[in-house]
Amino acid sequence: MIRVRGMRKSYRTGKLVNEVLRGVDFEVDHGELVSIVGPSGSGKSTLLHAVGGLDRDYEGSIEVDGRDLRSLSDDALSDYRNRSVGFVFQSFYLLPHLTVLENVALPAVFTRGTQRLGDAAATARAREVLEQVELGARTDSTPTMLSGGQRQRVAIARALFNRPTLMLCDEPTGNLDSKMGAQILALFHALNRDAHITVMIVTHDSRISAATPRTLRVEDGALHDERRELGPPVPSAAVVPAAEAP
Amino acid sequence: MSGLRRVIAADLQRSRSHFLLASIGIVVGIATFTFFIALSQGVRAVVLGRIFPLDQLEVVPKSLDIAIGPLAIGTSTLGGDVIDDARVRQINALPGVETVYPKMRLTVPAIALGGESLLGADLRSEIVADGIEPALVAADVGAGFEFRDFDAEPGTPKACTTDDECGERRYCGAPAGTRLERKSRNDDTGRVPEGTATVCRDYVPVLASEHVVELYNGALRRAHGFPKLVPDSVLGFTFELVIGSSMVGASNKGHLVRERAMLVGFSRKSIALGLTIPLGYVRRLNVDFGQPEDAQRYHSVVVMVPNKNDVAAVAKGVSDLNLVVADTGAEQAALLIAIFTLIFALVSAVIVGIAAVNIMHVFFMLVYERQHEIGIMRAIGARRGDITRIIMGEAASLGFVSGLAGVALAFGASFGFDWISQTYVPDFPYKPETYFEFPWWLLLAALAFAVSFCILGAFLPARRAARMEPAAVLSGH
Repeated sequence: MIRVRGMRKSYRTGKLVNEVLRGVDFEVDHGELVSIVGPSGSGKSTLLHAVGGLDRDYEGSIEVDGRDLRSLSDDALSDYRNRSVGFVFQSFYLLPHLTVLENVALPAVFTRGTQRLGDAAATARAREVLEQVELGARTDSTPTMLSGGQRQRVAIARALFNRPTLMLCDEPTGNLDSKMGAQILALFHALNRDAHITVMIVTHDSRISAATPRTLRVEDGALHDERRELGPPVPSAAVVPAAEAP
Repeated sequence: MSGLRRVIAADLQRSRSHFLLASIGIVVGIATFTFFIALSQGVRAVVLGRIFPLDQLEVVPKSLDIAIGPLAIGTSTLGGDVIDDARVRQINALPGVETVYPKMRLTVPAIALGGESLLGADLRSEIVADGIEPALVAADVGAGFEFRDFDAEPGTPKACTTDDECGERRYCGAPAGTRLERKSRNDDTGRVPEGTATVCRDYVPVLASEHVVELYNGALRRAHGFPKLVPDSVLGFTFELVIGSSMVGASNKGHLVRERAMLVGFSRKSIALGLTIPLGYVRRLNVDFGQPEDAQRYHSVVVMVPNKNDVAAVAKGVSDLNLVVADTGAEQAALLIAIFTLIFALVSAVIVGIAAVNIMHVFFMLVYERQHEIGIMRAIGARRGDITRIIMGEAASLGFVSGLAGVALAFGASFGFDWISQTYVPDFPYKPETYFEFPWWLLLAALAFAVSFCILGAFLPARRAARMEPAAVLSGH
């Protein structure tokens, strides 16, 4: 469970201080699928990074499964990101000089202790998650040989490599066309539904937020929690604009 | 290959053009360092190993000479500069001294005759000789030859009339110590006293310094058009010694002693320009032409000090005995070589230092270029230490490869240098086959030097990379 209490965050540019989050509170239970929406610069990504342990420079507290992230050392926070969190970014951030397989297995390089996989086991696990995102045939390709949608699926496979309990997605469809975006969103729904992974998606796209049962809207530094009843599982076409639907 | 090493290898591979340019300075610096240290080691080996050996001291009496115009007057001219057996024992008792070998100068004028078999013409030369304990030079005697006082051995010599009756490396001549009568002061042939029977004799074994051969090959042979000599090939060369005779007629003595001598080896411990023979021969000749007490008047002693750390203490002990260590020039030579080495080591350190700054710039640039990659690695669990290790690993690998290339370049340059010397530079005394020595520690030092400077250059960029806030680089804040 994620519990955020009184979180405040501001950015300073010269003498100008921009307070983007002004004491937000919310909780996310295990297995939820949550979208975070709001205007540009409203603090959506900031919130996501803080929950993912990428940023500790804020006021207030964030607890994940009872652990206060700000009380963790930098190394412990790295281990938390490695073992519990899977990140997916708009720009994919794949390492261009590594193959698809090596990119996906990269988290194993930084895993410590008994959970560390050997080379063979890491390769097997990377193949497994690549099959899961339907890229099992592209293991030896480099990222530059893939389409945008394929790259994002490689990034998702990398995020899934260490079997995270939390996936944090920052504009995951922002660089994709509508069809690809729909496929990626369907993948997140499937992961949430089948693997019970908590998924938080930052998006500008109201169609994506409409497809999630809960939306956290960030406006003027405050958070508005919106919940909605969804019908049967959302088909991929539902998030594809009618004009662009095949 | 472990995961981190694979990441490092992949980074090196993709940035190879950057690293190639960055490594040029390191390669040149390490090559300079290795080349000049190897050169100074090689020169040091020749100068201090062959010209000025450091494991031995030559101790001489303190000279109290004063110069009066062109003349020096003092203990040396008044016969006071000698060391006797008691002094030898005192020196031998000094801590750090392994052995002491007294040397006795032949105080009688002498000339050497011969050389036709070797040079095509007989030479006649005034000679200087000293006597030395055979044990001191046992290792320097040529294979199959002996260096000992044959005439001191008991037994009755075999009578003979021709050399053939005496066997290999012996000759038929007047008994040892036979005084030859001179018809006049200019007579250097002499006459064997009537009724003297000839007996089989051993040649007087002679050692020469390599200085003699170097001087001959480097200068004399050119002046006289003689062939070049190879030291080992002249072993067994025989010639005649006429003791009591001099090319300076006024120095001639009342009688002569003629001996046949054979060159049996070359030694660093023999007199630089002259002949070295077993001590017993010199002692008997000095007594024959001088006084009985001349039997224990040594002109110097060679003190063997196996541990270089003891040399200073032994020199102090020698000074306390009112004796001095002969100035061989070794200290000045060692100092010059040390200065030479230091200067070029500093030059190479400056080159490598500048290269390290260049490497720092390259790594700063690479860290900037890769900031999103560093951010994503942090996002998927890399610790700050992992990022540091990746950058430092790349720097160390770059340093190692650059160091190897630098050492290879130094080897190549040294081969070229030696080839030019052998091909185009005329012979000169002590001209070595190679001017370089590459001890194992130098190769290790060169690699360590290269790796250290690359790591030093990458230190700040690595620290900056490790301190990057992943949220900032991934979101652009």
